[in-house]
Amino acid sequence: MSDYKIIFSGPVGAGKTTAIQSISDILPVTTDEQASDMTRKMKNGTTVAMDYGLIKLPGTERIHLYGTPGQERFDFMWEILTNGGIGLVLLINNQRPDPFGDLHFFLNAFQAFIKQGKVVIGVTQMDQADTPRIEDYHLQLENSGVKIPVFDIDARIKKDVSILLEALLYSLDPGLEE
Amino acid sequence: MSDPQVSPIRVAAIGMDQRQRNALVMLFGNHCRNRYILVEEDSSEICIIDLDLFGGERLWQEFRQRHPDRPLILASLKPRQVENGHTLFVKKPIPVIQLMSAIDQLSQILNNRAAEQKIEAAQNAETTPSEPQHPRHSVSPVTQKVASLMTEAQEKVFIGTSPDIDPDNQAQLAKIYYDPQHYLQGHVQQALNQATRYNKNVTIEGPWPAIDMIIAKQQIMVDAREKHLRPFCTVPDATREVELQFHEQHKSATGRREYSIYAFIWQLALWASRGRLPSGTNLTQPIYLRRWPNFSRLVVTPHALAIAALWTRQPRSLIDTAKSLGIPQRYVFAFYSAANAVQLAGETRRAVDTLLEPPAIKQAENRGLFSKLLSRLRG
Ligand SMILES: Nc1nc2c(ncn2[C@@H]2O[C@H](COP(=O)(O)OP(=O)(O)O)[C@@H](O)[C@H]2O)c(=O)[nH]1
Ligand SMILES: [Mg+2]
Repeated sequence: MSDYKIIFSGPVGAGKTTAIQSISDILPVTTDEQASDMTRKMKNGTTVAMDYGLIKLPGTERIHLYGTPGQERFDFMWEILTNGGIGLVLLINNQRPDPFGDLHFFLNAFQAFIKQGKVVIGVTQMDQADTPRIEDYHLQLENSGVKIPVFDIDARIKKDVSILLEALLYSLDPGLEE
Repeated sequence: MSDPQVSPIRVAAIGMDQRQRNALVMLFGNHCRNRYILVEEDSSEICIIDLDLFGGERLWQEFRQRHPDRPLILASLKPRQVENGHTLFVKKPIPVIQLMSAIDQLSQILNNRAAEQKIEAAQNAETTPSEPQHPRHSVSPVTQKVASLMTEAQEKVFIGTSPDIDPDNQAQLAKIYYDPQHYLQGHVQQALNQATRYNKNVTIEGPWPAIDMIIAKQQIMVDAREKHLRPFCTVPDATREVELQFHEQHKSATGRREYSIYAFIWQLALWASRGRLPSGTNLTQPIYLRRWPNFSRLVVTPHALAIAALWTRQPRSLIDTAKSLGIPQRYVFAFYSAANAVQLAGETRRAVDTLLEPPAIKQAENRGLFSKLLSRLRG
């Protein structure tokens, strides 16, 4: 049985939990601090909540979907969590006070993914805050060395999350057949 | 075009006497190789009325009451302003070529309508009431529809069915180009350029439903549904009497359809190009893509993601792109026309880009898995 994972990351309220919910085949494990399933007790006593979902493919293959915990708890857990991931879906909440600050924080945290072009960016909550625009994000990314897909998405809408993942797959292999 | 397999377009001549009808029968049969056939009104797809006949005006009005939507050609010695989406005017004496082109234009409208009905039927069938309703999506048809795979009917409207061409064959080459300036696409692009320069809003007026461009919001507002706009976008020179009105204010948004300018022009370009290229596009010069289009809010043509992934890695010619991906050229042409219209794609001018042959596409280790995931996401 082969297992693969896709990581969903981004600041609080960016839609990680919702996005995983939108495309998961199983009822995603809730990740609120109160929920105990996937909530892990860390050595220092803090709890780290994370999201988990699953896509079952024909045969035995499975894609695990992991959502990272909040950036205020950025620590070694992230590395373990993200190690060996197929790719990264970075969600940015356009309504937060400094979305570009968030963007750079996460790009920096996931440098390895970025350099290999294993990343797509979904900007959420654009219906609530229409600036910065998608073009502005591209300008911020000009120095990253790769052209990263950046889409305006609503994490509640399955099609939006799907197209973001499709772009990730084509970034990894443009020769994929429809 | 004059494919004998295709059934002839059924045209009726309203109010004309036997002599005029005989002339048309001869014209359609000999000259037009039975591309059209003269029939009675009831079984017709397209009608012609000679306004100079006795009672011509009344014939016209009564016809419109009977068939508000049937495409109509009006002929008269005096030039007249009667055109709208499905009524065309030709001045008498009618040059054969003009009559043919008028019938063809109107028949294109009929094709589009048929395709559109299929889309609507398909969309109605797949409505899933449980999906969360996004307030903006409910008023904005473009954003609603996007990020979905095209149905066959949509594909016909947006991309057509042209076969691949051999770039060394001049006759074939002549068929793959269109001039955006002859379509509503070109006018909207021009309006955008000027409105940006003057930093003013602009209303694009003509026989189509008024199009308002709000520069500060990079938004378009239209008073009509897509299907009322489309005929003006697919027919060349349906837009002769365009007028641009610049102003500071704009009408309020209630009840109007709003689009991002970018998504609007993208769609207009797809409609106009139908799998063709802007005139003069070089087939062998590498094409660059400045960045990924915002696909979640655009009409996604077949293979668009693959093409975008390829071009954002390295410029590659249109012909080579189709070959490397093993896809029909029309998909590459359609995507290029749309991306070029919003200034995301163009021909490279740098010598270095033409120097090196683009590498073959390297297959990812996990291609099998990726393919499965892809079909799961699309299914
Ligand atoms: N209006 C709006 N709400 C969104 C969008 N994306 C997600 N949400 C909502 O935003 C809230 C936060 O999303 P959540 O998935 O909990 O974010 P997380 O903190 O990253 O896990 C939820 O109520 C979502 O339904 C969007 O694009 N627009
Ligand atoms: Mg969450």
